Amino acid sequence: MIAVVAASPARPTLVRAVCVREWREALGNKLLVGMTLLPPVVILVSGIAAVAAAAVNPPSDRDVQALYAAAPAVAGLDPREAVQGFIATYFLILFMLIPTVVPLTMAIYSVIGEKASRTLEPLLATPVGVGDLLFAKSLASTVPSVIVTWSAYAIYLATVIAIGSHAAVQAVTAPRWILAIVVLVPLLTLLSVNLGILISTRVNDVRVAQQIGGLVVVPIVGLGIAQVTGRVVLDNGAFLQMTIVLILLDVAVFWLARLAFQRENILVRWR
Amino acid sequence: MKTVVRTEKLTKRFGDLTAVDGIDLDVHEGEVFGFLGPNGAGKTTTLRLLCALIAPTSGTAEIAGHRLGRDDAKIRAAVGILTELPGLYERQSAWDNLVFYATLYGLAPSVSRAQAERYLRLMGLWERRDEPVVTFSRGMKQKMAIARAALHEPRVLFLDEPTTGLDPDAAKTVREFIVALRGEGRTVFLCTHNLDEADRLCDRIAFFRHRVLRIANPDELRAEFYGRATEIRLVPKPRAEDLVRVQAVPGVREAHLENGSIVVASTDPLHTNPLLVKTLVDGGADIAFVTERKPHLEEVYLRIVEPIE
Ligand SMILES: Nc1ncnc2c1ncn2[C@@H]1O[C@H](COP(=O)(O)OP(=O)(O)O)[C@@H](O)[C@H]1O
Ligand SMILES: [Mg+2]
Repeated sequence: MIAVVAASPARPTLVRAVCVREWREALGNKLLVGMTLLPPVVILVSGIAAVAAAAVNPPSDRDVQALYAAAPAVAGLDPREAVQGFIATYFLILFMLIPTVVPLTMAIYSVIGEKASRTLEPLLATPVGVGDLLFAKSLASTVPSVIVTWSAYAIYLATVIAIGSHAAVQAVTAPRWILAIVVLVPLLTLLSVNLGILISTRVNDVRVAQQIGGLVVVPIVGLGIAQVTGRVVLDNGAFLQMTIVLILLDVAVFWLARLAFQRENILVRWR
Repeated sequence: MKTVVRTEKLTKRFGDLTAVDGIDLDVHEGEVFGFLGPNGAGKTTTLRLLCALIAPTSGTAEIAGHRLGRDDAKIRAAVGILTELPGLYERQSAWDNLVFYATLYGLAPSVSRAQAERYLRLMGLWERRDEPVVTFSRGMKQKMAIARAALHEPRVLFLDEPTTGLDPDAAKTVREFIVALRGEGRTVFLCTHNLDEADRLCDRIAFFRHRVLRIANPDELRAEFYGRATEIRLVPKPRAEDLVRVQAVPGVREAHLENGSIVVASTDPLHTNPLLVKTLVDGGADIAFVTERKPHLEEVYLRIVEPIE
């Protein structure tokens, strides 16, 4: 017989085991897979359709005047170019919805699912650190969400390059936008994940948790629209500012989630 | 005798409610220790305390040589718990469930797989290892949960009402498993509200309702509350004079007729019973059976647990 000696697992081992289990579980949940893939697919399809439509139908004079008024950044460009650039950028901002909605849903399912199936008690009875467990759970929702967002962006990019005008290509390949996708998407995802976990400790209904989490999306969309209409320009300063704010929010929300994620709290107070 | 679980004035309050009120326990290595109490007595709370899942309000405990509150991770590694509900990942296979937990208990991959196989076979679930647990019956899920609790070969196994809600067949498997564990020298802390089960499985029983009211082994309790009783079946049936003769035998505390038998309570049955048999035979009675009668533990239980209400 082999000697069986139980002990706390190494952190990477724990993280890997939790991630694999969560991903298997998520892939087996058709509703969750649907809810995860729907937003990127809708945004991607409508984004590509809009850019394609603008490339085929030249805008009317009135449209162009309205556009110049709304987005001073594109004023003076060739109308067709301007419209495509505007649309391409506008959808890039909608892409920022993916790292808020998708990870939120995944995190909510991950925690509320464990509450509903009563798996938390045996899980907490193992010699794992709860901080490590929380970290592993966060990562399990963050990684696929970031991959989904980046993939959607890559497809969008490739399509715009293939069918879009010069202005549209310039808009989507602007270094600041690429940087935003690379840096802000993971930060935004992490924020949504831990927010989802935090909300799920108090709420037992997936839809209610999603609605509460949706309140976070509003200011982000607001900021995005403001930026397109030229009031807040995504210059280096604004980008840096957003990065710092997101990092601070990430730390704060992870800290709050860590406070809620204690063995006794989970077993005695989570309802 | 080695002690594996020792508590000192262990107490847990939830607001105004004292669920566990200053309990002192000593559980010995290798015994099946019954923790018997009605619903709401605080059994689950005690288990959570001893598995380092929740912290005591006051008091302390030492489990498998580790101090509660100081070496909690070591306690968790040294004990296994069968929770009230199985709590399995139902979308995943039996195999994946067990390997996942083995990994969380720090077992190396090859050991994890070996243990998962050992317990799946032991529980008769090996053939269904690749099926998602959601397709399993209540009894199979309970077996899975027990396998999960025992997978890392803990020194102490805490079982929270392991047969509640199971069909008789599954309950039997679970009880056989508990007996097998004891055979391996494993310590089992068995929470139950089922007297019959405690009686059949436990070396000692703690009667518990927020406080430990009494600790004893089942035979001691019977002897103390009733004296040993003997049932003597006569053919065709006892006559009035048989009863009178029995009542006159030295050491007999009480005797009465019951369904064609004479039921005798005596202070020292080992000395009294041979005398009883001789007296009856000498008196011309034909004896068919002489059996030891165990008074029902239910009554003992009610006498110990009820008065504090
Ligand atoms: N998280 C909790 N918050 C408040 N009261 C609790 C909590 N858990 C248990 N209790 C109370 O403590 C008492 C003991 O509960 P429990 O340990 O579950 O009893 P048992 O397992 O013996 O049925 C009950 O009155 C129960 O309502
Ligand atoms: Mg209970």
